[in-house]
Order: sequence, then C-alpha cells, then structure tokens
Amino acid sequence: MSDTRDPRKTFGEALVEAGERNSNIIAISADSSSGSGLTPFKERFPSRHLEFGIMEQGIIGFASGLATTGKIPFVVAIAPFVTARPFEMFRNDLGYMQQNVKVIGRCAGLTYSTLGPTHQSLEDTAIIRTIPGVAVVNPGDPVEIKKATHAIAAHVGPVYMKIGSPKMPVLYKEDYQFVLGKGVLMKEGRDVTIIGTGTVLSKAWVAAGFLEKDGIHARLINIHTIKPIDSDLIVKAAKETGKIVTVEEHYLTGGLGSAVAEVLALKHPCSMKMIGVDDQYASNGPYEELLALYGLHSEQIADTVKRFINHSDRLL
Amino acid sequence: MYILSEEEELQLKKVAFKIRKNVVRMIRVGNAGHVGGALSIAEILAGLYFKIMRVDPKNPGWRERDRLVLSAGHKCLALYAVLADRGFFDKALLDTYGSLNSRLPGHPNMHELPGIETNTGALGHGLSIAGGMALGLKMDGIGSKVYVIMGDGELAEGSNWEAAAATSHYKLDNLLLFVDRNTLQISGRTVDVMNYEPLDKRWESFGWSVREINGHDLQQIVENASRVPFEKGKPSVIIANTIKSKGLSFAEDKAEYHYWKVKEEELQIAEKDLAELERRIGQ
Repeated sequence: MSDTRDPRKTFGEALVEAGERNSNIIAISADSSSGSGLTPFKERFPSRHLEFGIMEQGIIGFASGLATTGKIPFVVAIAPFVTARPFEMFRNDLGYMQQNVKVIGRCAGLTYSTLGPTHQSLEDTAIIRTIPGVAVVNPGDPVEIKKATHAIAAHVGPVYMKIGSPKMPVLYKEDYQFVLGKGVLMKEGRDVTIIGTGTVLSKAWVAAGFLEKDGIHARLINIHTIKPIDSDLIVKAAKETGKIVTVEEHYLTGGLGSAVAEVLALKHPCSMKMIGVDDQYASNGPYEELLALYGLHSEQIADTVKRFINHSDRLL
Repeated sequence: MYILSEEEELQLKKVAFKIRKNVVRMIRVGNAGHVGGALSIAEILAGLYFKIMRVDPKNPGWRERDRLVLSAGHKCLALYAVLADRGFFDKALLDTYGSLNSRLPGHPNMHELPGIETNTGALGHGLSIAGGMALGLKMDGIGSKVYVIMGDGELAEGSNWEAAAATSHYKLDNLLLFVDRNTLQISGRTVDVMNYEPLDKRWESFGWSVREINGHDLQQIVENASRVPFEKGKPSVIIANTIKSKGLSFAEDKAEYHYWKVKEEELQIAEKDLAELERRIGQ
C-alpha cells in the first residue's frame, strides 16, 4: 500500500500501449487533453489525437460517427461533462447505435473536492448503467486501470470507464488478470462481505484488515465492472456470509449499492448496508476530509460494518 | 457538375412520386405518421439515391459507400420508401409500418433495416455523427461523401452549432448538408417559434459554403449536389426551400400536418391527389 500512482498518468500510458497495438485507436479531447493524461498519446500519435475544444455534446456524436468508419475512439474528459451533460448523445449515438466508443470520465466522484458539485460526479454510474449494452467499469487501483484500459480497447462495444485523480495505492501485482464483467475475491471471510469499487476500494481493503484484527472475518470483493455485474459472485457471498456492505464514492442512488441490491432482491435477499453519499449536493474542501464527511475512510467503514453486524437482525 | 437530361429528370420525378405514394401507403396502414417533413424531402432523396450517391443495395456495409444521415429522423417514412425503391429491402416491408415489432419504427433503427446508417430521432444529433463519419473517411483516405438532411426547426438545437464549428474546423469538405427549409414546425412558422435568420449568413459565418435552391426542383438538387465541395476545404450546405406535406392538397404548408392522424375522408383526397400527380408525370 505504500506504492501509489497517478490514475490519469497510468491511464494515459496504457492508452499509448493500446495505441501501439491497434492503429484504429484514437483519442478525443474536449480541451481536456493534458488533464486527462493524454499528452503522451498526443506526442506519440499526433494525427490520432483529435481536439474539439469545450464541446462535450458534439464529441460524443463525432466519436459515434468515427466508430462507424472502424476507428476506436477514446473520449476522455471530466466525468460529469461526458456523462450527465451529453446523456442523450451517450444513450442514442453510442448505446442505441452500439458504437465501439470508450468514454473515460476522469476526476470522477469527489475528486474535484474543492470545486463543488458542478464538477463532482456522483451520479455517472447511475445514469450510464441504465443504457442497454453499455459496460460500466470502475477500476480500483493503478494496475487495474492499466489492465482495464487494454480490456476495454479489446472489447467491441460502448464502454464507460471512470477514474479518479488523487494518487491511488497499488493493490494488485503486475501479473493480475483483469476480466471484464468478473468480480475479484480479494479476501476470504465468513462473517460479512464488503463489496468495494473504484477509488475507495483501497479504503475497503484497509477496513477489512482492521476488522480482521478485531476478530471479524470480512470477505472483500472488488466489483470493477458494475455493468454487466458479476451476479454469481455476489449471490455466493450473500449465501455464505448473509450480510453485504457496499462501498463507493458515488450516490447511494443508482450506484454499486443499488446494482448489488437489484441482484440480491431477485436472487438471494439478505441484510445490506450501503456506504456512499446520500441524497444531497456534496460539500467542498480537501479530498480526504470530504471522504470522511461521507463515511468513506477505512476506520469509518470498519465501524459501520461492526455496527451493521451487531444490528443486522433488525432494520437500522 | 451534372446536368440532368429531360429523360433523367422525368425518371427522378417518377421516383419522387413513388416516395410520396409509399409514404401515404405506410401512413394508411399505420393510421398516423410524420407526413409533412417526409413529403418535403421526396425530391432530395430521389436525387441523392438515384443520381448522386454511390451505394450498393447488395452490399449495404460497403466501406467506400456514400452515407446519408437523416438528422431529422422523423422524416424516415420517405427514407424507407426510397431505400425500398432502390432495392435495399422488399417493398412488402412497408406495409408493416405501425405494427408490433415493426422493422420500420417511427424513427429509423440501423439494426433493423439495411441502408439505414444512424439511429436518429432526437434532433440535433445527426450533424455530429456525420462529421465523425466524414472525418474518419478522410483519415483513411477514402473519397466517399457524407450527406445529411436536417429540418429547419431542428436548427434551434444548440448541438448543431457545435457540429457546424467542428466540421468547419476539420475542413470536412466531403460533407453536404441539406437544410429542409419547409418553414414550419409543430408550433407554427419556424422563424416565429425561434428565429434562425439570416440562415445563409449563419452558415457562412461558421465557415461553410452555402447554396440556396428550390428543394423540389430535381435539376437544381442534382446540379448542386454533384459539385461538392462548393469550395475546397469547407463543408457544403444547401438551403432547400420546400413545402411541407408537398403533394397533398389538404395538408400542404400547414403545421398541423407535421404528424398526420389519418381520417378516412383525407385519405380519399390523398388518393385523388396522388392520381392527379401520376397523371401529370405521365406514369
């Protein structure tokens, strides 16, 4: 956990590697190139880097049209501006048309902690996962960002991948195998299952360690692909541990917690607790302090899990 | 520049007539449909699909084909009619419009029918998608062209002007846009609902090369569409002055026939109008 890496830089380097392998890969920027980690791609493949200025509706349509000619566009910009703003373009031009376009929402979640709700993205998972045929990917460490970038480049079809901005702890070894749509069992346990995703997966990982020290054997699952979701792994955890806690840097409405609840409500109902941001416009301030405001620090997650275990026989 | 012979012009008039006839045929079986905008673009589609565009109905995904993006997706009944006539699919399919699970929905679906390039319907999407097509073709050195048809009411969508800037910025002179200026939208005269004038100056100021024509004159359509780009390095736009619901005496130039909910007596008038049209063309 001492090794940390910049997620945007990591993504940008992976995209250059993917671009070396496949000359159809192009990058599309909405005045967002350097902040999206695209500088190395731009330098390596200048003719395959297309700048559009601050045009977040137009770029989705352009990407769709480019994809019809065999290009594999990676549209990379600030998360709310490539999800909430051009939602209809995403739905119709990428989803309904099933175009092979990858949209990368960077600085997702509370990353833009001081800039406030206009720049924070707490609903991107919720809205994009309503679009049929669009995969939603939320990598949990730098190694996973790199592997996921290669996986979505190889996958034929529209994808939304979100990454944060603060440096992320490394959780996986370089030989880690990423499979789109398959969750990862990170730690065994029989008392409770914690399901984490994305930027706060490392917080959940540390929380599971705290619990272990207190004699609580928590299972930890990483759901890096929120759609299509790995129902089997989730149902198995519900059957074997009976209690599920989800952890995400996203609204409780429509995110990972909702996606897990949708699976369990139909296949194996069990006690659940969701950790994330409830129905409000988030505050602003230093990133880590903001995470603490919404109970997303490791100690807080461990505490919430403990209280949940002790009271999960009745409604909290 | 291509000049139609009298014989060629007559042939295209017959195509436009068949489009109108088949639009009415579909609306009859489906009981309702966007008739106004479909009939205002009959000549434009006839000229494009039977004289201008390089397409192969037997190989609709041919990489070097020309592409049409119907940004105003609600005009799709005319597109269905011309594609069927051009041989992309069996004309019998036209009689399924309006039925459950029809492959001819009220806005086109590329997954359902050969020859449909995009899933349009929500307005203001087509020009960006077409721009991406034109850019991708240029990047690969393919000389195909991309044609777009947009309604004039659609111009109020801001996303069009994003696309207008980007197509010009990337010098996409392999793209031709028709603005179907039938001057009407659901709520009335387009310039009263949301003024777009001066339309030619707007496009010019965005870096486009502009022509204005009578959108029902096949000679003007083919002459202009055959000399794209109008200026090297610029996207081209034809402002096509048209009449909404052209060909139906009771509906021409009336906003209320943007979407026609069929009445039996109107259908009878429509049949008479079509018969008269057919007689005049000498079909």
